[in-house]
Amino acid sequence: MSERTQVHLKDRRTGTLVEAILIDGVTEEEVQAAELTWKPFLEKEIRRMEAAGVPKERLPQHRHWDWRQKYDAIEGYAAYQMFAIECESEMQGMMLVSTAGKVCRVESQKGKSLVYVHFLAAAPWNLASIVTEPRFSLVGSILLATAIQLSIQEEFSGRIGLHSLPQADGWYAHDCGMTDLGCDATAHNLRYFEMTAEQASEFLK
Amino acid sequence: MKLNLTKEWLTKRAERDDKAEISAGVFSIDIFKSKQRTHQVASINAAADEDPRPAFGKLINLWRRKKGLRMDQLAEKANIDLAELIEIERNIHYTPEPRTVYQLARTLGLSNERMLQLSGNVIARDQTLGQEAVRFAARSESVEKLNKDEQRALEEFVKFLSEK
Repeated sequence: MSERTQVHLKDRRTGTLVEAILIDGVTEEEVQAAELTWKPFLEKEIRRMEAAGVPKERLPQHRHWDWRQKYDAIEGYAAYQMFAIECESEMQGMMLVSTAGKVCRVESQKGKSLVYVHFLAAAPWNLASIVTEPRFSLVGSILLATAIQLSIQEEFSGRIGLHSLPQADGWYAHDCGMTDLGCDATAHNLRYFEMTAEQASEFLK
Repeated sequence: MKLNLTKEWLTKRAERDDKAEISAGVFSIDIFKSKQRTHQVASINAAADEDPRPAFGKLINLWRRKKGLRMDQLAEKANIDLAELIEIERNIHYTPEPRTVYQLARTLGLSNERMLQLSGNVIARDQTLGQEAVRFAARSESVEKLNKDEQRALEEFVKFLSEK
């Protein structure tokens, strides 16, 4: 069942906070609608970037993600939850998490349950790496806060884990205060980040 | 979901988020998608006589080595993700993205339609493709340099794909 909560994003064009909706339990139609707007925008921008000679490593690293396929793959599995933030009738970011099957790796909480963030992304028009004037910020922070809140709700004390794409390593390490456990050979050598209960509490302050 | 995010918190976080890249998740290859598609294609191929996909990876591997290219060089040349190229060459049951197949077909100068069949994206109506693909895959070994038989196998298979 879909649940909606009011949140706020920062409209970067005006510098003000604007109302948005956090959707817990995104519907198939909503995922489809997001794909229909994200993909053409992203493809167009990638073509522009390629034509401008932008090196491949600076192109958006999540450009092949297919949220519709992810939705299909998790449908019917209670441990998976998909969240999205809607603003101005468009999806501004999406996140897929699971509440089972993953445990903590940080020594102080090793083996304890956590919420694992399988995928987290903002709409392409919100990314400074793609467009010169991104529309909204706070998408990442609100989705991460949502994962933490879900972890608290599941009695995991705010513990979360994720594999960051290289372009986002700095944000998770320095701006979110997560523990960097280094490259994970089992996940295409992406860096694995984990948030302890204390770090989660600090993040929400 | 109850979120108590104050205006102060939002303002503070916005400063950190303005220019941030935030993506998280398994790099490039969509694990959910590939798992699901692999399963679908495996089911389809179970009903067919031969699975051509091992030959697809072999073809790419031999062609690359024949040209003296490293994996990253071929990925660059074909404008595909290195991670996906690694998966193609190493996982015989992997079904690559149609876009990747198109880019590789263009780089190798082969028919996209035949390559889509070979990669498991499209079911081949022509049974000889599956047979030829299996024969080809069986003849080639993964070694650093192409031996004469591999060289011959590659040439014959490329010729077969070009003729159709």
